[in-house]
Amino acid sequence: MGNVSNMVARIPGLIDWWSTGEVRLIGAKCNSCNTYFFPKDHHQHRPGCSREGVEEVLLPNKGKLVSYTIMRYTPPPPFKFEQSIVPYGVGLVEFENERIQVAGIITDTDLKSLKLGMKMETVTLRMFTNDEKQDVVTWAFRAVK
Amino acid sequence: MRDIYIIGTGISPWLGFSEQVFTNFGTVAIDNALKDADIEWKQIQAIMAGIFVWGGNAGHLSGQYHESIFGETGVPVINVWNACATGIAALQMAYNSVASGQTDTALAFGADVSPKGFFAAKTDDAVQDRDVIRWKMVGMPNPVYWALECKKRMAKYGTTEEDLALVKVVMSEYGSKNPGARFKRAYTLEEVLASPYVVDPLRLYMICPVATGAAAVIVTADRKLISRADKPVKINAVTMGSAMYGDPTIRIGVVSCPAVPEAPLLSESYSASRQCYEKAGIGPEDVEYFELPDNSSWHYLAYLECCGFCEEGGAEKMLRDGETKIDGRLPTNLSGGFSSHGEAVAAQALWQVIECANQLRGRCGERQVQKKIKVAMAQTYGLMGNSGTTILTI
Repeated sequence: MGNVSNMVARIPGLIDWWSTGEVRLIGAKCNSCNTYFFPKDHHQHRPGCSREGVEEVLLPNKGKLVSYTIMRYTPPPPFKFEQSIVPYGVGLVEFENERIQVAGIITDTDLKSLKLGMKMETVTLRMFTNDEKQDVVTWAFRAVK
Repeated sequence: MRDIYIIGTGISPWLGFSEQVFTNFGTVAIDNALKDADIEWKQIQAIMAGIFVWGGNAGHLSGQYHESIFGETGVPVINVWNACATGIAALQMAYNSVASGQTDTALAFGADVSPKGFFAAKTDDAVQDRDVIRWKMVGMPNPVYWALECKKRMAKYGTTEEDLALVKVVMSEYGSKNPGARFKRAYTLEEVLASPYVVDPLRLYMICPVATGAAAVIVTADRKLISRADKPVKINAVTMGSAMYGDPTIRIGVVSCPAVPEAPLLSESYSASRQCYEKAGIGPEDVEYFELPDNSSWHYLAYLECCGFCEEGGAEKMLRDGETKIDGRLPTNLSGGFSSHGEAVAAQALWQVIECANQLRGRCGERQVQKKIKVAMAQTYGLMGNSGTTILTI
């Protein structure tokens, strides 16, 4: 994870690694229709909802792997990593109480060890260093050992 | 409402990447549609154009570009973008223009030259363009979404890699008999299973590539033009659908989805198809020919269920039993599908309608359904929750 204080998310407002001591995704919850959103601004209310009382929430650090794939080719820009990470896993992790599944890169390199139902934790993943010498990161998932 | 018929169709055959301007392909398709309908350009009273998104602002006005080539006549020209359902949006507007009596004869078309490789983000602005997030933060080209759904399906229904490969075997058998197909080689199960993984469990031959192509359809309620046309095809209904709250599909362009389903998978296509059945008064049991959007082998299976041709989890059996083959209960994608053509986004939904019309008109040669068929259905798939369905009869 590198030096936490010298870390910056590639897109702000998606990951929180400073509030709780754990890496958490920044979502939102609508208190009227009880729907969780990620990213927090991508609202998908239940039809007829008053849309009142949307509050920012941190998704739990841990969830369950409900689907995954292995990406064998490098995506085109704006995907950017300092070193090639291909092949890499992309997983769909379910946060059960929040009734939401979120996609993210899987940092485990032993891709054969991935199994549906595995417990996963949210981590940060360094992609490259910017001009200010900061580590630019995204969110990712890792199997809980 | 007036009865509305397709009297002319045209395509520009599908290709790989091209250096040529997209209007060259659109012009060919429109010319072919005019010839098929046996009418002149000046008889077109409205132009509904699929937007060409890869060309910047000027290219967005695909309708105006093409009108100027054929000669500007001052008729209404409307440009529309609904991702892979763009062609059906254009067709529905042409249909509505004629149905409402605003015009008697209208053209719907789309022309596309896709960029090379995976479709990519079009901006760098993650605030205004939410599509940027999946590229910058996760690295998720479209096939990643299909693989995530496919993996879920395999766990739920026991779909095998052989099933996924069999889709390509069947598609390529018909593609090899379609003179308009881009890929004209029939593959064996072993060949498909030997192709490299792109996004496990989907291999190279289980995913359709991007393409260049154009398609045009002329619709009319003019009795004189209908009576002159070669086997006019009636549009019983053409409908568009959007997604429904609680759809569990991980939709292209987003990075999350509901964990507890409250709507069907691919709800935008479920919605479009059910609206179409209701408006046409024709149900899945009446459909005798089907074109579905086989962007991947997963789509082929999922769409047989989504549109109500079998129960959930029943598509593998339909496929294995040959029910979707030329002599089966529901001949499906005898065009060879996207698998044999690739995606030309602005054009492909119209191309699916044309393939259905060609089967109804008995124009498909070696891959023509043998029994006499009267009802065909074209189903599209579009990103971010949009879809379209067309039911045609002869």
